[in-house]
Amino acid sequence: MIGALAAALFVFVHLPSARADQAAGQAARIQTVVIDPGHGGMEAGAKGKFGNLEKDITLAISLKLKALIERNLGLSVVLTRDRDVDVTNENRAAVANNHKAGLFISIHANGAVQRKAGGSETFFLSLNATDEETRRLAYLENNSSELQTRIDPSSDDDLMMILWDMAQTAYIKRSSRLAELVQEELDAMLGTRNRGIKQAPFKVLTGVACPAILVEAAFISNPDEEQKLASAAFQARVAEAIYRGLARYIRMTE
Amino acid sequence: MEGKKKIALSRHALILGGLAVVLLVLVIVFFTGGTGEKVKRFIDANVPKPPESGGAEPVSKTVTLFFIADDDDLLHKETREITAGPTVADEAERALAELIRGSEKGFVSPLPPPTKVRQIFVAKNGLATVDFSREIAEGFAYGSTSELAAVYAVVDTLVFNFPAVKKVVILVEGVEKETLGGHVDLTRAFLPDYSLVAK
Repeated sequence: MIGALAAALFVFVHLPSARADQAAGQAARIQTVVIDPGHGGMEAGAKGKFGNLEKDITLAISLKLKALIERNLGLSVVLTRDRDVDVTNENRAAVANNHKAGLFISIHANGAVQRKAGGSETFFLSLNATDEETRRLAYLENNSSELQTRIDPSSDDDLMMILWDMAQTAYIKRSSRLAELVQEELDAMLGTRNRGIKQAPFKVLTGVACPAILVEAAFISNPDEEQKLASAAFQARVAEAIYRGLARYIRMTE
Repeated sequence: MEGKKKIALSRHALILGGLAVVLLVLVIVFFTGGTGEKVKRFIDANVPKPPESGGAEPVSKTVTLFFIADDDDLLHKETREITAGPTVADEAERALAELIRGSEKGFVSPLPPPTKVRQIFVAKNGLATVDFSREIAEGFAYGSTSELAAVYAVVDTLVFNFPAVKKVVILVEGVEKETLGGHVDLTRAFLPDYSLVAK
C-alpha cells in the first residue's frame, strides 16, 4: 500500500505537461470555465420541506452563472450537465479536464438535519492526508515545474486511478484563494449567514486538474432559505456573487 | 462363506459411508459457520485488549460520542457507558450503536436511526473498516453539512475512543460506496477532523 502510494507520488511528479505551466506559479491564461450543477437525474440531492430539490436549484443557478461569465468575461463556459440527468462524479471531473478548464465551480444547495441551520459557504478540497503525505504534497505544490512528462497512457489502471484522484492536490492553494474571493461576494450580496470557507474531502473535486471550489449557496433544509433558493431573484444574486468573485480571481492572476 | 464375506463387506461400506458423512458435515461447518467472527478475531489478535478485571461482572468502559446540536453545526461530545471487551472491534461496534441510538442530553444523532453496524474490522496498522447497513445512505437526503456530520461523527467517535484506531474506512452493505449522498468521498480512509467539534 505504502509502496503503491510512493509509486503514485513518484509518477505524479511526471504528470501532464499542459498542466505543468499552470501549476508553476505563472498561471496560464484561463480560457474555459467549467460549471458543475450538483446532483441530477435519479440523484436529487438534499430536499426541502416545500418539495424543492437541490438538483433543480443548482441547475438554475448554474445556467444564470454561465450566461454572466460568457457575456461579461468572454470566456468559454462548459456545463457538466444542462438538464436533469445523472452524471457520475468521475465524468464531472472528466468534463473539466477534457475541456482544459482553467476553473471548476460546483454549485450546490446545502442540507442539515437541523431545520435551523442556515447560511452560505464555499468549500475547497481537503486532502485528508497523513503528515507524511501532506509533506510530500507540499513538496509537489512548490516544485510543480517538475510536473513535466505526460503520463504513459498504458500505465496500470489502478495507478491511473490514484493519479486521477490526486489531480486536485497541486491546485489547493489557488482553490483556497478562489474560495475566499467567491465567499466574500456571497457574503456581500446574499444577506445569509457567512459560514466562511472550509475544506472537505468532496468526491467531485478530487479528480479536477485546475483550481476548483464547491459553493453551498444556502440551506434547502431551512424553510426560509428554501423559499429564497427557489426564487429566480435569489438565484440570480447567487450567480452574480459567484461571477464577481471569479472575475476578481481572474484579474488577480492575469 | 460367501454370505459372511458379503456381510463383512457391507459393514465395511457402512463404516466408510458414515465417516464420509461426518467429514462432509465438518467441512460444511468449517466453511459456513462463523467465518466473519473468525476473521475479526484474527485481525484483532494484535490489537491491545482493554484491561479486564477478575470479577464475573461485565466491566464497563466510558466512551465519548459525537452528536450534532440544534442551534449550531458543530459536533458535541457526550459520554456513555458501554460494556468493555473482549476486542476493540466489539467495543467500537457498541460505541457506534450508541451513537446511532442517539443522545441523552438533547443532542441529535447525525446518522439515520434505522442504520445498523454490520461489522467492524480493526487491522493492526490502525485502519478500522466499518460496514454499515444500507440505511446510512438511504435514510437521509444528505446535504454537504449533514453528510460531513454523519461521516465525521463516526470517524471521530472511533479514533477519539480507541487508540488502536488511526484511520477509518466506511463501507455500505459490505462494499465500497463512492459517497453517502453525493458529496463526501468514501473511497479513501478518513483521519479524524476535530475542527468540527464544539470547544
